[in-house]
Amino acid sequence: MSETATPSKTEKKRAINRLKSMYPLRNVVQQDYIDTLKASNEGKPTVWSMLNYWEGDLPLKAMGLNIVYPENYATLLAASGAAEPFLDASDSDGFPTHMCGYGRSTIGYSYRMMKENGGKIPPDAPLGGMAKPALLLGSGIICDARFKWFQSLARYFDAPEWCLEMPMMATYEGSEPDLEAYQVKFLVKELKDFIAFLEKLFKQKMDWAKLEELTDLAVKIHETTYKISELRQSIPGPMHATDFWSSMPPSLFFAGDMKVSLKCYQDMLAEVQERVNNKVSGINYPERYRLIFAELPPWHSLKFFDSLAEMGWNFVFESFGYHAPKPPDLSKYSDPCEKLARLSRNFMFNVFPEAKADNIQNPIVETYLKIARGFKADGFFMHPLISCRAASCSLRTVQHWEQEKLDVPSLWVEGDIIDKRVFNPQEVLARAEAFEQTMDHYRKVRKSRGLDW
Amino acid sequence: MENATPALFFAGIDIGSTMSKAVVVDAQGAMRGYVVGPTGAEHRRRANKVMEDVLLKVGITLDQVAYIISTGYGRVNVPFADKQVTELTCHARGVASLFPDVRTAIDIGGQDAKVLKIKSGRLTDFLTNDKCAAGTGRFLEVAAETLGLELNEMGQISLQSDTPVKINSLCTIFAQQEIISRLSEGQPLTDILAGVYIAVTTRVVKLARQLKVEPPVVFTGGVAKNSGMVKAMETVLGMPVLVPEEPLITGALGAAILARDEAFKLVQDGHYKIQKKQLSEAYIEFTEKKL
Repeated sequence: MSETATPSKTEKKRAINRLKSMYPLRNVVQQDYIDTLKASNEGKPTVWSMLNYWEGDLPLKAMGLNIVYPENYATLLAASGAAEPFLDASDSDGFPTHMCGYGRSTIGYSYRMMKENGGKIPPDAPLGGMAKPALLLGSGIICDARFKWFQSLARYFDAPEWCLEMPMMATYEGSEPDLEAYQVKFLVKELKDFIAFLEKLFKQKMDWAKLEELTDLAVKIHETTYKISELRQSIPGPMHATDFWSSMPPSLFFAGDMKVSLKCYQDMLAEVQERVNNKVSGINYPERYRLIFAELPPWHSLKFFDSLAEMGWNFVFESFGYHAPKPPDLSKYSDPCEKLARLSRNFMFNVFPEAKADNIQNPIVETYLKIARGFKADGFFMHPLISCRAASCSLRTVQHWEQEKLDVPSLWVEGDIIDKRVFNPQEVLARAEAFEQTMDHYRKVRKSRGLDW
Repeated sequence: MENATPALFFAGIDIGSTMSKAVVVDAQGAMRGYVVGPTGAEHRRRANKVMEDVLLKVGITLDQVAYIISTGYGRVNVPFADKQVTELTCHARGVASLFPDVRTAIDIGGQDAKVLKIKSGRLTDFLTNDKCAAGTGRFLEVAAETLGLELNEMGQISLQSDTPVKINSLCTIFAQQEIISRLSEGQPLTDILAGVYIAVTTRVVKLARQLKVEPPVVFTGGVAKNSGMVKAMETVLGMPVLVPEEPLITGALGAAILARDEAFKLVQDGHYKIQKKQLSEAYIEFTEKKL
């Protein structure tokens, strides 16, 4: 059984053993919102950018533009319990309630800002809010709802919207070696067109040396976060999923000063390594079950994971879509656009060779099989979202293959990322209690099959 | 504590959203009595009432009950329970005690529906409906209110239908409007009722099919008392279903059996918290018989 950290006598025992190195990373993001707002008040433009797997973030940063991330901001709205008035505003403006929670909350934000508040930030917006955008950067990656959402936002602000594309194949044929050159060529053209557009819109030139420097920093950040992920396979799991979610924006969006972020992730790597060496768990209770969370978390109810930690549930890994894979070797490429294109492409295509070897068509399924094996998972906590097809439609297939190939069962909990009104924690806790019996059963089944966990 | 009666008992209390149930079993796990009553708003009062009633029915006193487990929606409101256990675990145990070979259990209660996969008496997987009342007893209550019928007379009437009407609405309230529309179209009451049962069953079976339905299938919960629902369930599933003599009490029965197991485990582990002498005797008696 795992060793656990011992809180001081005066300190209330916290169920999740938070990493100290998580807090500076969380602060990097919070400070970035504050700095961007300050810059806007000084007349500098703000860009609203969606998750684009680094294709767009780095050119924006290289040009010294200030960026906010509506998806991340929506998580802040939810986590601070401030989302409901913004969701209601979206509903009032006629958007459907089954639409993406990130979309609903930031459409509501924009509606309240532009239609109700004369262009001023709504007073109840956390961290001072997001300033009016001079550009909205969308992305065709992941789902259609995302770029339609940014089109809607652009109409509130009468601001231009640019949408970056990326080749995205659902089956492993897309990773055939002869296709790689075409995909990179396509991405390089996307980037060059985008940069030309940025130069025209903001009347300033791209700093190519800076872009190269930032791409190199991005690789270093991802090398570090990848090492952290690898270490997390240890027993007991040294880092709880909530620590990952709280610290991921500087590697997922490259929010904030990337040099500072790299240092913070290096500190996190050292702390996780220390925990592994000393067998310190990510929860302050004996690790009874090792859980994997798939896919997008209930940002409104992260405290809920404390209740599960008290039951000995350690969420040892989570949300594959938020994890940067091991970065490719970019040292042989000189064109900064090609370097960036290859870094971005790697996210979508890195897992295909393994999927092919495992005879699995779906790379998400393959990724989660690999995770379950590597992390010796007792169970999956599946969180399908009524409002998100992209994050939910593969979960049944993942559930099926985890059960079929590895005898790892899943707890199926419907909810939403932002709207807490469709999440019933008490009901979920009752089901979690029963799910322990299921996990116990499949532990025996796996052992009888000769699996080592 | 000395007691004139050597036998010890164990109880399970299931405070459901609509009905409360209490079951008492003996050291062999045999059911000695049960009671069922409406839950109402006062969970604690109801818990006391069903407990008092079941003790009266079995002819014992609370002192003779070594261990009590509460379950169900209101399980936290049973102050005299020794432990609370989720209804999923209790249902699985209760059903398996009645039908040891069961592989699938479908339970439809007043406000929820659950599907349990069971193997060798153990819960191996489950799904519940947690977002909507469309596949629950509440759907039937709304239909009964709309048609001006008593719930218990609906089943028999529906059995006279050969051509159930189709109720399409996924929402209970919209389905109510649809029932009114079918009535105004002049559709026979028998066919409308049969259609209502098919609609409820279809929603639950859709849930069940996600877990792959394997026979034998046991159908429990208050809704399983309805002959129209049982017929609809067999029709939609395409296989026979087994229904316990009293399908409402499987959760409470499972809780009572788990209470016995828990008490024996306490004895085994050396934790003599409750009536240690009698409990030890009961345990020895039980294990000797088992051997």
